[in-house]
Amino acid sequence: MSILFYSVFLPILGGLICLLIPGRIKIVKEIIALLSSYAALVLGILIFRSGSAVFVKDLGFLTGFLKIDLDLRADSLNSFIVLFIALFGFLITLYSLKLMPGKERSNEYYAYLLFNVGAATGAVLSNNLLMMLVFWDIVLLCLFGMLSTGGMKAASGSAKKSFIIIATADFLMLLGILLVWYMTGTFRIDVITKTPFAGDLKLGAVAFLLLACGALAKAGSMPFHTWIPDAATEAPVSVMAFLPAAVDKLLGIYLLARIVLNLFAMVPWLGIILMFIGAFTIIAAVMMALVQHNMKRLLSYHAVSQVGYMILGIGTGNPVGIAGGLFHMLNHTIYKSCLFMGSGAVEQKTGTTDLEKLGGLSKTMPVTFFAMLVAALSISGVPPFNGFVSKWMIYQGVIQFAGSPATGGAMSFLSWLFLVAAMLGSALTLASFMKLIYSAFLGQPVNEPEGSTPVKEVGWTMWVPMLVLAVLCIVFGVFAQIPLRGLIGPAVQLKFPGVPEALRLSGLWSPTLATVLIFAGLIIGYIIYAAGKGTRPRTDVSYIGGEAPRGDINRFPGTDFYNTVREMKGLSGIYRAAEKKYLDFYEWGIGFLKAIGHILFYCVDRFVDWLVVGVGRLARFFSWILREVHIGALPTYLAWCLIGFGIILYVLVR
Amino acid sequence: MQILPLFIAIPMGAAFVLAMLLKARHSVVDILANVVTAVLLALSITLIMTKGTITYEMGRWAPPLGIVLVLDGLTVLMLLIVNLIAFLATIFSISYMERFTAKAKFYSMFMLMLTGLNGVILTGDIFNMFVFLEIASIASYVLVAFGTEDEELEASFKYMVISSVGGLFILLSIALLYAMTGTLNMAHLSQIISSQKSGIGFLFTAALMITGFAIKAAIVPFHAWLPDAHPSAPSPVSAMLSGVFIKTLGIYAMMRVLVNVIGISILGRAWGIMLVLGAVSMVIGALLGLGQKDYKRLLAYSSVSQVGYIILAFGLGTPLGYLAALFHLTNHAVFKALMFFNAGAVEYATGTRDLEKMGGLSEKMPVTGITSVVGTLSISGVPPFNGFWSKLLIIIACIQAGRFSYAVIAILVSVLTLAYFLKVQRLAFFGKIKETLSNIKEVPVPMRVSLIVLAVLCLVIGLDAFRIVQGMDSSWLVRVLLNPAKEVLVNGTGYVSSILPK
Repeated sequence: MSILFYSVFLPILGGLICLLIPGRIKIVKEIIALLSSYAALVLGILIFRSGSAVFVKDLGFLTGFLKIDLDLRADSLNSFIVLFIALFGFLITLYSLKLMPGKERSNEYYAYLLFNVGAATGAVLSNNLLMMLVFWDIVLLCLFGMLSTGGMKAASGSAKKSFIIIATADFLMLLGILLVWYMTGTFRIDVITKTPFAGDLKLGAVAFLLLACGALAKAGSMPFHTWIPDAATEAPVSVMAFLPAAVDKLLGIYLLARIVLNLFAMVPWLGIILMFIGAFTIIAAVMMALVQHNMKRLLSYHAVSQVGYMILGIGTGNPVGIAGGLFHMLNHTIYKSCLFMGSGAVEQKTGTTDLEKLGGLSKTMPVTFFAMLVAALSISGVPPFNGFVSKWMIYQGVIQFAGSPATGGAMSFLSWLFLVAAMLGSALTLASFMKLIYSAFLGQPVNEPEGSTPVKEVGWTMWVPMLVLAVLCIVFGVFAQIPLRGLIGPAVQLKFPGVPEALRLSGLWSPTLATVLIFAGLIIGYIIYAAGKGTRPRTDVSYIGGEAPRGDINRFPGTDFYNTVREMKGLSGIYRAAEKKYLDFYEWGIGFLKAIGHILFYCVDRFVDWLVVGVGRLARFFSWILREVHIGALPTYLAWCLIGFGIILYVLVR
Repeated sequence: MQILPLFIAIPMGAAFVLAMLLKARHSVVDILANVVTAVLLALSITLIMTKGTITYEMGRWAPPLGIVLVLDGLTVLMLLIVNLIAFLATIFSISYMERFTAKAKFYSMFMLMLTGLNGVILTGDIFNMFVFLEIASIASYVLVAFGTEDEELEASFKYMVISSVGGLFILLSIALLYAMTGTLNMAHLSQIISSQKSGIGFLFTAALMITGFAIKAAIVPFHAWLPDAHPSAPSPVSAMLSGVFIKTLGIYAMMRVLVNVIGISILGRAWGIMLVLGAVSMVIGALLGLGQKDYKRLLAYSSVSQVGYIILAFGLGTPLGYLAALFHLTNHAVFKALMFFNAGAVEYATGTRDLEKMGGLSEKMPVTGITSVVGTLSISGVPPFNGFWSKLLIIIACIQAGRFSYAVIAILVSVLTLAYFLKVQRLAFFGKIKETLSNIKEVPVPMRVSLIVLAVLCLVIGLDAFRIVQGMDSSWLVRVLLNPAKEVLVNGTGYVSSILPK
């Protein structure tokens, strides 16, 4: 069955054709890009439907010709991921049709996009760890290329930074793969899965952590995340929607799930390390998101934050947690792509993503508003949307982990702490999205400068992908049992037989029933509201987003929501705040959180950044010392030679 | 086999003919030089399919007394690499060397250098090896000083002094060997050494040898001449020097003498010094590369670093280590030549080597830009390009030999390499083009041909090496070229039996 092979190489072939077509013939290029991504989608569906454990050795004209033996394997873990990579490839291509014109280097853009679909599929399907690494790095190269299509000097700077950070993690992963090879004697995943681990525990743990480094860096979790926000403001928005939001997450979490499920037997303390990284990522990133003013940057911090949930879930190592992590990965790619697409739509129509300059778009861009609202509610974990279900499962997983006999007292305490962190993270996510939705779509429209064209809804090629994703958000939330049984269950079953039963039984949560109840509640509420309406209008001072309105202006941009903190700096600030009766609990709470957000931003985010830069500086410092030693004097150089000879002689003759 | 002496005779003859053509038109000289290198390349390609060891007795004098030329797997590989790079360098020179007045002199010296390189590779006589080594070295001193500017003369002088010291070390060790054994034929030497018990004299000789060849190979701390000499030479010569010269004179000759003649069993534990030398070279070369602003100087330091990888892999002493070292040697010749050609093309177009004065060049010079990206990715070890696979094999070999710390160093140096080459990309090729450079043009066709051929080779070797995923022998390069070469080294002093009749 060479269908696996085609799913890897058709998109790459399409990308090559796009690259070779000269830039002028735009329409042909777009058609080819669309066709090949559509073909990839069809192949993805076929692979998914063909069931589990399909092997392919070589085959296909091209591999026959090159004599490259592609050892591909589809099982229930990677087949649904392939399906989603292809789906996103198609949606993003469709979305890009309207976004990309006018930008230079669009042929490169489509080529990288298609290469990416092919290489990501290849990485996921590879049965050979080395081959996976090769495809993995091709994805990285495409990311590098796509980021640099932003074109600006600064863009290439951030592209370089991200490239070095991820490449470092990939080199570590290479070392991990080689350690696995050293211990098991093979690179083949299916063989490693069957042979129980016979190495020493220490080396195994090192290999596990090294592999996890590669996975975490790809998924963009802390401390490998700094490039994502930097890239977000410069790269084309579709790149952000496609790579950091979707494909990179799919790949990173796939690898993490693969090593947890198939390659290693997890021990609790390794799980704790993963869970700690997860919980920390959730909290720290969401705090930083809270203080962002740029829509794209805000979204990119959430892209980091949400990875934390997936890692937390998978780190538990129990079926519910892993299933939750994988499900959250799917949900995240859906709603985060949708959010990025929405912000791209806003940017295209208004020319900015700065929240302070936006407002009142809900009337002019209703579809975008709807899609973004649904996605925002999903990411915040509000029932009945999909984000809630997966987060709920992750919480369940953590609780199970904490209660399991294998974990000792301290570990159990830590995992309770992680649970609290995750829940708090969810609440903060809601807070920051309330700000986003309010600032951009509600509130009052900004005053248009004279003569500018009024803002309109984007074209269908842009809103259809958004709408598809928004609908998926609802479907996966309301009918969560379908993806759980069809996609996630079989995957987790690889390690834990009989899991789908457990997931279905789940005294956990019955999504459909809950939705019905929620709607019932809403309807009852509306009836009560309608019944009471008109009889006794309630009057009160206007109160927006928790802030008392200022009288002098009648526009309330959402960016002012948590501004109170800014006025709280120093004694005079406190005095003034006290005078204005700001000292109530809500203000304090929000102010405290925002302060932590700022502290974290400087202590963690910029610290990691500083660390990266710092390592570079350190290297340059050594480089400087060494350069100073090379004074260019011949006698010195000759002396080195003689000293070297002396050392060699000593070592040899001693 | 009559073909062997041609590798020495043809370039040497050409060197003298070219020296007489000083007044001739440039096109005549170009054609002659390119035909010569093309013929040599074709000859070395015909050797690929030869099996086993072939000897040629110079003047029909039998081995222990006369000089023999030896062709085995290692020789085939080295000849192919040297003549391939030489061919591309002469093509590149057609346009590049127009800036200089004495093209015929240049080609003449170039041919002399090639004679020396081919001679060192082929000869089976250790003193003869020294002679060829000095021929190549002296030609290279002239070539480094070819521009006759202050900087070039100074670099050449330093290079000459240090390199001559290295030559003296080698000569002294050869004299000692002759005193102890009474023969100069390498196979015969090896036979006598293995029959003798006392080791200390040979150890002293080995120390001299290692030092001498390490100076030629520019291993830290013997590297100080290289960062001056390689950038000062005209770019095609830099490509030859960094690509094949230090490897032939330094690494190949060292391996041939230490592994095949003296035998690493005599050196015993002390062989581990190779690992240390290699690791130190890797790290220091990469750190120095990080701080450079001069395009070609950066490349020169990177050569020091990459030679470190090769020495490290040799130092492991395992078959896989040898294979990885030879593979990296091949790859480094390809991508380092490519990068020096790139630097030459940039210098040709912009007139500067200072990275900070460049910017946005890929807009005006797409071929140079894209090929330099290929070179960068190859040397930094990013799949699917060739550098990834050889570094991978080196790291695998380290892990297989249980030397994890060296594997970690190799990986960290990869990151450093990536960092400073991305710096080159960012400063020179990305971004917006500078005002001062707005009317530069892409380089002429012959230069582009060299660039494209090497870039394609990077990718083709990488794709070919992809097959080692399913087993070493699936890769054509490994099966046909590297494995026979590796066998020669694994065979060690068994080298004797194939040359001397019993």
